[in-house]
Amino acid sequence: MDIHSYEKIWLVLAVLLIAGFVSTVTYGATAVGVQMIDDDGGTIDANALDEDPRFGNPRVEQVGENHYAAYVVAQQFIFRPDPITVPANSTVTFYVTSPDVIHGFEVVGTNANTMVVPGQVSKLTVTVEEPREYGILCNEYCGNGHHTMEGKLIVQPEDEYAQGGSTDG
Amino acid sequence: MSDEQPATEIGHEEFDPNGTLALILIYFAILVVMWVFMYFVEFLGNELTVIG
Repeated sequence: MDIHSYEKIWLVLAVLLIAGFVSTVTYGATAVGVQMIDDDGGTIDANALDEDPRFGNPRVEQVGENHYAAYVVAQQFIFRPDPITVPANSTVTFYVTSPDVIHGFEVVGTNANTMVVPGQVSKLTVTVEEPREYGILCNEYCGNGHHTMEGKLIVQPEDEYAQGGSTDG
Repeated sequence: MSDEQPATEIGHEEFDPNGTLALILIYFAILVVMWVFMYFVEFLGNELTVIG
C-alpha cells in the first residue's frame, strides 16, 4: 500500500492522541484514585428506612480516626440531615438512599455526584479540606417540588466540630 | 480555449499538502491543550473527587 509520508504523520499522531487519552484516565484511576460509584452500598427496603439503624436517624457519625460516615436520606423534596456538617481535612463517606422516587445527590460544583435510587444505597467517599460551605442539590426530576430540593454541606474547622458546634444552628 | 495549456503530472510522493499538514497540526495542538485543561484542571481540580 502506498501511504504518503504526510499521511503517516497524522496517522501516528492520531494513535498517540488515543494513547494519551487512555493513559491520562489510567493515571486518574491509579495515581489519583478516582473511583466510579457502583453497587457497593448494597440494597435496602425503601419502605422501611425508619427501621434501618443508619437511615432511621440520618446523621454524620465518626467511623474512624479521621473518617466520617454521613447517612443521608434524599426524599421529596429535602435532604436529611440538613445541613450535613463534617470536620475539615477528613475523609467522608456518604451513604445516600431514597424512600420514594429517584433523586440526585450532587455537591454543587464538584465531582461528588450520584443518582439516588429507592432500594439502593449509593456510597461515595470524598476527602474534604478547607472549611467552607457547599450546596447540595437534586439533579433528577423528582416531582413538582424538585426545583426546591436542596441541602447544604458544611465543612467546619476541626476544633469547632469537636465542640459539637454548628455554624448556623 | 486553447489546447496548449501546460499540463504537469507529478507522482504520489511529489505532492506535499503543506497546508493540510499545518491545519492538522493546529487541530492536534488544540485537542491536546483542551484535553489537558479538561482532565487535569476542570476534572481533577474540581474537588471533591470521589475516591471510594
